[in-house]
Amino acid sequence: MSILNYNGGCVVAMKGKNCVAIACDLRFGVQSQTITTDFERVFELGPQLYIGLPGLATDTQTVYQRLQFRIKMYEMREGRRMKPQTLMAMAQNLLYERRFGPYFVEPVIAGLHPSTKEPYICALDLIGCPCEPADFVVSGTCSESLYGMCETTWREDMEPEDLFECISQSLVNAFDRDALSGWGAVVHIIEHDKVTTRYLKCRQD
Amino acid sequence: MMEVVDNSYPGFQFSNFARNENLVAKGFPMPNSRKTGTTIAGIVFKDGVVLGADTRATEGDIIADKNCSKIHYLQPNMYCCGAGTAADLEMTTQLMASQLELHRLNTGRQVPVVAANRMLKQMLFRYQGYIGAALVLGGVDKHDSHIYSIHPHGSTDRLPYTTMGSGSLAAMSVFESRWKPNMELEEAKQLVRDAIAGGVFNDLGSGSNIDLCIITKDGATMIRPYDVANVKGQRQGKYEYKRGTTEVLSTTVRPIQIVAETVKKVTVEEMDTA
Amino acid sequence: MALEAINGVSRYHSKLDDLGEEMVIPEIGNLKNQYQLCTPDLPKSECQIGEFLIDETGRKIKLNYAHGTTTLGFKFNGGVVMAVDSRATSGQYIGSGNVKKIIEINPYLLGTMAGGAADCTYWERVLAKQCRIYELRNRERISVAAASKLLANMVYQYKGYGLSMGVMIAGWDKKGPGLYYVDNNGNRMPGNVFSVGSGSIYAYGVLDSGYRSDMSDTEAQELGRRAIYHATHRDAYSGGVVRVYHIKEDGWTKITEEDSKDLHYKYAEEKTKRSQ
Repeated sequence: MSILNYNGGCVVAMKGKNCVAIACDLRFGVQSQTITTDFERVFELGPQLYIGLPGLATDTQTVYQRLQFRIKMYEMREGRRMKPQTLMAMAQNLLYERRFGPYFVEPVIAGLHPSTKEPYICALDLIGCPCEPADFVVSGTCSESLYGMCETTWREDMEPEDLFECISQSLVNAFDRDALSGWGAVVHIIEHDKVTTRYLKCRQD
Repeated sequence: MMEVVDNSYPGFQFSNFARNENLVAKGFPMPNSRKTGTTIAGIVFKDGVVLGADTRATEGDIIADKNCSKIHYLQPNMYCCGAGTAADLEMTTQLMASQLELHRLNTGRQVPVVAANRMLKQMLFRYQGYIGAALVLGGVDKHDSHIYSIHPHGSTDRLPYTTMGSGSLAAMSVFESRWKPNMELEEAKQLVRDAIAGGVFNDLGSGSNIDLCIITKDGATMIRPYDVANVKGQRQGKYEYKRGTTEVLSTTVRPIQIVAETVKKVTVEEMDTA
Repeated sequence: MALEAINGVSRYHSKLDDLGEEMVIPEIGNLKNQYQLCTPDLPKSECQIGEFLIDETGRKIKLNYAHGTTTLGFKFNGGVVMAVDSRATSGQYIGSGNVKKIIEINPYLLGTMAGGAADCTYWERVLAKQCRIYELRNRERISVAAASKLLANMVYQYKGYGLSMGVMIAGWDKKGPGLYYVDNNGNRMPGNVFSVGSGSIYAYGVLDSGYRSDMSDTEAQELGRRAIYHATHRDAYSGGVVRVYHIKEDGWTKITEEDSKDLHYKYAEEKTKRSQ
């Protein structure tokens, strides 16, 4: 068993028309034992900037806190909001710094550019290699199933409401085939004027 | 003085190393990082060099990225194709690009390709192969057109044509049979395309599109994609979920409130790099 | 070089002569004799069936379906209640969410399934045949004790060959309700309360706290259902549909088959109502 699957959990992000979505499951387990079902692994790092950190839960928290520290330092120094691309570079540096003793997280970034409101998604591997596709990114214990779901359900230029259905159904149906993730889900839809957060009704087994 | 939480020392950090080694000993193997798989190639032709690469990135047996860019910028007259651990390639080429730019500014002249080759090999040799980067460096300077192949342990070759990555054998067979000195541009482009296509179709680690980069005395042109060797099939059915399909437990909406907005015109000023 | 030579077997038949007690089982085929599985022509001590589940790259071959499971059975004054989940996993992948883990041997006998799904279904089918033959020969139904002993003896023949099963055999015979636990190690024991599988620790928790011998039928069925539901909630490798069976004097009846998702939100609603 890979240590990345030790606590379970998955994250997916998708681009829509002038909006992005990021979603995760809520399980925190220790191998087969489910400990809690309210463990959110997607974090808000700015008004329109989110990061998902699936992987080993201890590293999820450490990486989140270290990133938050660096972002706060950056925003104080620069006096402006961080771009999603800048966050990617920052996460990349943080992870690559530990190239030979990595954190066991595979981050997913989703957000809008603070001024142009350009949608942005990106996934990094555990040592910080970025992948910035035009459609969707997946990460976590059921990434194979998520690839399959997203590859069939994603379409170009989805409105926020359609994007929500697409990402939710992709996530829920993917983790219902995975023993180590699920137990509830949270979806953030990020638009230029608002962020909508929804908790989904899911299987609890 | 208050201790800083997040000490930023230069270079690699090894604070997780002992923990991770312990996990390996306990039967949790190190997860795979993203690899490029890859077919990359470069040739010298009459007026310069042509570099080529496929666009597949793999993580184990899944394709992590179907259209990644493997031809990295180093200098206006120099590009570099990478095969191996994707993060290593990304960071190594970014670092080199900045080092070469500093070198250019310090010396006030175009950086010769040998210099880039030397810097890369010295860096890779220092890390004894632990940085998994196999590179094909190509460039044109005032002396000549150059193609270098650089191995992860730091050995390099200057060659008229070379290939690297898991599809290198398929690509090399194309070069061995068809490369000749002083080729014309179109012929050279076609040859590199065919070599990369050899990797794309015969190597499982390589796939998707073919990118080319042409470097001559007049500068570099990236053609991305040069050839879409694998066109994705059209989706036959409609897989749309009607709005309201998903059962929602709770919804919160947070509006983004703009408190103040100022627009300041910026006049561009040239940076003094003399 | 022949394959057996690579495996270190010098001659097939010379093995037969000088092995004595560690005799190789001669191959007949399980179509003629269901007890006769094809085993490698090697003595047990050299047999590596357990290791055949790992391929040459060290990856596990996905053979052992349904390793994670929760099954339970308990006797009480009103008979025997059996309840199971329905999830089949290979590794962390959920292969099916609708497996029948209670095997209906005959109208008075039930078997549960935990461990290797193929092992359980195969041997319990052989058991069903044997039970029917017993009925025809003796003009009376087989007792639960005898049926479970038949199964235990069958799997004991293959001890060490890598069978994987932990089953409960329950039924009603002349002595009244019967419940036995049988596993691939050759264990066979009677008892009042059993739970088998990866989720059994959670099921036992509910079972032990709620068990009384003087429960009503509905109470007992609800206890079994709840125990399985809580196990599906906590155990990653259990889930799907919760099936409850009840065995009484006149044989078994299927009580309910409910999706654990529906159960979860039903129980959650009841909880909020109670607290109001």
